[in-house]
Amino acid sequence: MTTDTFIAGKGFLYTLDPRAKVLVWLCAVSFFFWPIRLCGLVFMVALLFVLSLYGVGGKATLRVLRSILPMLVFMVVFMPFGFRTGRAMWTVGGFPVVTWEAFWQTLLLMSRFVGITYSCTLFLSTTKMHQVMLAFLWYRIPYKTVLVITLAFTYIPFVSDSFHEISDSHRLRQASGKTRRTPLRDMLPTLTSALVVSLRGIPYLAMSLEQRGYGRKGKRSVYHDLSGYHHAVPQTLLAVLVFGTCLYLFR
Amino acid sequence: MSHFSLSLKTGEKLLLLAPFDAGKSTLARILAGLCPKYLSGELAGDLMVDGHDLRETEPWELVRSVGYVSQNPQEQFVAQTVEDELAFPLESLGVDRKEMHRQVEESLTRWGLVSLKSDSEAELSGGERKRVLLALNCMLDPACWILDESFDDLDSQWRRYLSECIKGTNHSVLVLASRYLPQFDGLFDRFGVLDGGSFVEGSLDEVKGHFARLSGDDELCPLVREPADGNLRRLDAKGIEVHKTRLGDEKRKVFDLSVPGFTLSSGQIVTLLGLNGSGKSTFARLCCGLDVPSQGVFFLDGQTADTDVLNRNVGYLFQNPDLQIFLPTVRDELSWSLVRERKYGKEQIGEMVGEVADLFGLSLDETPSTMSYPKRKNLQAAVYYLLDRPFYILDELDNALTYRKAEDLVRLLYGKGSGILVITHDRSFARLVADDGYEIVDGRMRSI
Repeated sequence: MTTDTFIAGKGFLYTLDPRAKVLVWLCAVSFFFWPIRLCGLVFMVALLFVLSLYGVGGKATLRVLRSILPMLVFMVVFMPFGFRTGRAMWTVGGFPVVTWEAFWQTLLLMSRFVGITYSCTLFLSTTKMHQVMLAFLWYRIPYKTVLVITLAFTYIPFVSDSFHEISDSHRLRQASGKTRRTPLRDMLPTLTSALVVSLRGIPYLAMSLEQRGYGRKGKRSVYHDLSGYHHAVPQTLLAVLVFGTCLYLFR
Repeated sequence: MSHFSLSLKTGEKLLLLAPFDAGKSTLARILAGLCPKYLSGELAGDLMVDGHDLRETEPWELVRSVGYVSQNPQEQFVAQTVEDELAFPLESLGVDRKEMHRQVEESLTRWGLVSLKSDSEAELSGGERKRVLLALNCMLDPACWILDESFDDLDSQWRRYLSECIKGTNHSVLVLASRYLPQFDGLFDRFGVLDGGSFVEGSLDEVKGHFARLSGDDELCPLVREPADGNLRRLDAKGIEVHKTRLGDEKRKVFDLSVPGFTLSSGQIVTLLGLNGSGKSTFARLCCGLDVPSQGVFFLDGQTADTDVLNRNVGYLFQNPDLQIFLPTVRDELSWSLVRERKYGKEQIGEMVGEVADLFGLSLDETPSTMSYPKRKNLQAAVYYLLDRPFYILDELDNALTYRKAEDLVRLLYGKGSGILVITHDRSFARLVADDGYEIVDGRMRSI
């Protein structure tokens, strides 16, 4: 349960003060919850995409897109059924399959989903977990809460890693001869196994945390520090200003 | 375990040998204050460690009293990097930052982990993971060390170093092992064996004799190899090169492995030796088609083999069985592949699964996740036995198993006429099961 999400790279995202970065990240995520025009959402998604390409590289950027692709397909297929009113965009034999309203709502939801996903992955892949922890502690968030937050950040990639390991293992247990591929049918036992493995890891993690002294009374010391970063306040103000301007322009 | 009674004085070093599935890990967890808090079971009796009554003490109060290194290192990692893993307990103890850095740096250097300090647990090899946990234990230097099969996974250099650490400490040390290794010579002043859940103490010779009778290791003899008959298969690798960059490493360290040539034929057993992190498991993953090499080609019976062909022809028993067994019962695990093969009826599958369970000493209704580590390895081997692959790769199969048990598993898989690649650190075991072998030295594989 200790999957590291950090990807070494270049660019200003790596030099940004983690305290400011936490705020930038929260601003970016909340931006997608505001009633913003579609062009504003698309602009922000494009910006995040470019930052991701520059910061963590094309491979990692596309990997994120690939991982959320099934969800996007799901939206495209099922969203139109939820919006049946308004002008028809595509009709089959006089039956309106997709309305313009459904089309815009699907785009809106997809932009929000992609935007939030890239905001989170970009934040976690350009910030080391101890920096995330120190940044939260700087905002006076209690250590226990911070530990839970950072563990949650590593738990989701851990489930994903488990899924891939189990897929590998199942792949090696195929029949010797050629058989008909049933990816959807095979996905269910893999997914179930991944969830079982992930849940089974929780008591071991709790056990090891306690064995490492988590739960002791008295003040914890801190191994790392943020002394290499000196511009938390101006960077934070600048970030808030940029997002405020975007909100104003695209409201 | 019942009527278990043991007392260890400060500075005493005890080797406790126990056969396969005798309750070593349960005992270790009880002594570390983790059982029955986190693992089911009932505990009765008195348990005192370093003045703490374990029945009334929480694990976090034992950081300086008990150091426990698990047989399965993956379950003990809590931090995202090696450096943070070492720092975590020091932070809990409130150690001054300067002092923490000094202690962490010293431990990293001592255990050869400096170049791995920014790596995550997932990027480490089995032996490297073990070294991190041992480094942590030596750094904290608790009053009582509990090392559960800690010599396994380590290569000879680090086994020697661990022996020196045990020799050098003036604290109590309890080493739990399932076979007597040459590294144990002159290391311990007390010896015992776990027999039927009770502790039996004696001299080294008495304990070795008792243990040999329990585990059958006194009948050790080299594996008899017979030339394979029938359809001879051959797996070749030519010009294999692997270059991997570690994602989280700012210095962009590159892992290189070069395999100019490798051959495995039906009825052949070869070994692969190498230091921790040298690329043994990486090569195994390439051989069975789980990873793709940067350069080079695999051939099966003279034909180029892609990953799908390798997947279906090379059975790979991972170093950690937990990454290969997931289902609720032994029966489910054994029948999973047979059901998907759609070649056999329900009754036939039931018969096959029953026979294999008997052969490997498994109970069909048992839950794999609650079985002991060696028993899970047994199940892992049984799963692959049913798959009937022409080639098998056994990655550190001998870890946590007696020589006899590991040899039995090799014999069972070999009995099918398969070609077997045995990855191990133990040269005695390598000599026992194979005549030929390969070794990885400085990123290059060569025949030995």
